Amino acid sequence: MSVFNIAVIIAALMLIFIGLFMLVRTNNLIRVIIAIEVVMKAITLLLIFAGYMNGQMALAQSFVITMIVVEVVVAVVAAGVALSIYRRNNDTDIRKLNKLNG
Amino acid sequence: MNETLVLILLVLIVGCGLGSAMFRSMLHSAVSLALLSATLAIVMMMMGATWAGLFELSVCAGLVTVIFVSAISLTQPIRRHPEHSEDHHRRFMALPFILIVVGVAMIATVLLGHFAVNPVLQPETAETAATFKEVFWGSRQADILGQIIVILAGAFAVVILFKEGSEA
Repeated sequence: MSVFNIAVIIAALMLIFIGLFMLVRTNNLIRVIIAIEVVMKAITLLLIFAGYMNGQMALAQSFVITMIVVEVVVAVVAAGVALSIYRRNNDTDIRKLNKLNG
Repeated sequence: MNETLVLILLVLIVGCGLGSAMFRSMLHSAVSLALLSATLAIVMMMMGATWAGLFELSVCAGLVTVIFVSAISLTQPIRRHPEHSEDHHRRFMALPFILIVVGVAMIATVLLGHFAVNPVLQPETAETAATFKEVFWGSRQADILGQIIVILAGAFAVVILFKEGSEA
């Protein structure tokens, strides 16, 4: 394996680790959305790298464009939900989202 | 492809990811995420994914950042909460050190030969592969239909969330 291949995989895995760490440690709803975005960037990088390695860049680009569309819709809807929760609770702290407790 | 430049950009990508987690200000986190997207777009273009890079730059670094900045400006109170800043700093203080340890462990795993990525085809055969236009509009037409449905679902969700007089 070349240094380039190792570097791409390690960078992607580090991004996934950062995103998961954020998801676990933060209490803010918007930071949770940012963490999901960071993980999705890592997956995008891995998809492009897979296309580069296999010589199937067109197929990889097709998947990445589909993923970008899903990413944007997730960001928009999640931001809308965050705003809606802020209007109701006057806060975006996820620890206060206990109104649906059974 | 200039691999040294890509390696530098990869370090920048990880740095931006770290910044988006570590910054106390959420606005700075959102800008850091935008920088991550822009750098990733450059890397994608350098690896030959020109169209995906363009989408990443315009949509993820542009549109998503605008959405985040709007959401942050609508939800953040004007007055600052120093105790929240200190709390955030305390929560993420360990992240750079953990990341260094994880990175060293991953490099050691690769160097010891426990992990390897072997290409199915060599990059030289990419010239014979189908073009992006053929794949996207030809063999992946169902994906386009799926994308349209996802966009419509998102639009309807936002309409319902912000409906006048809604309890949602």
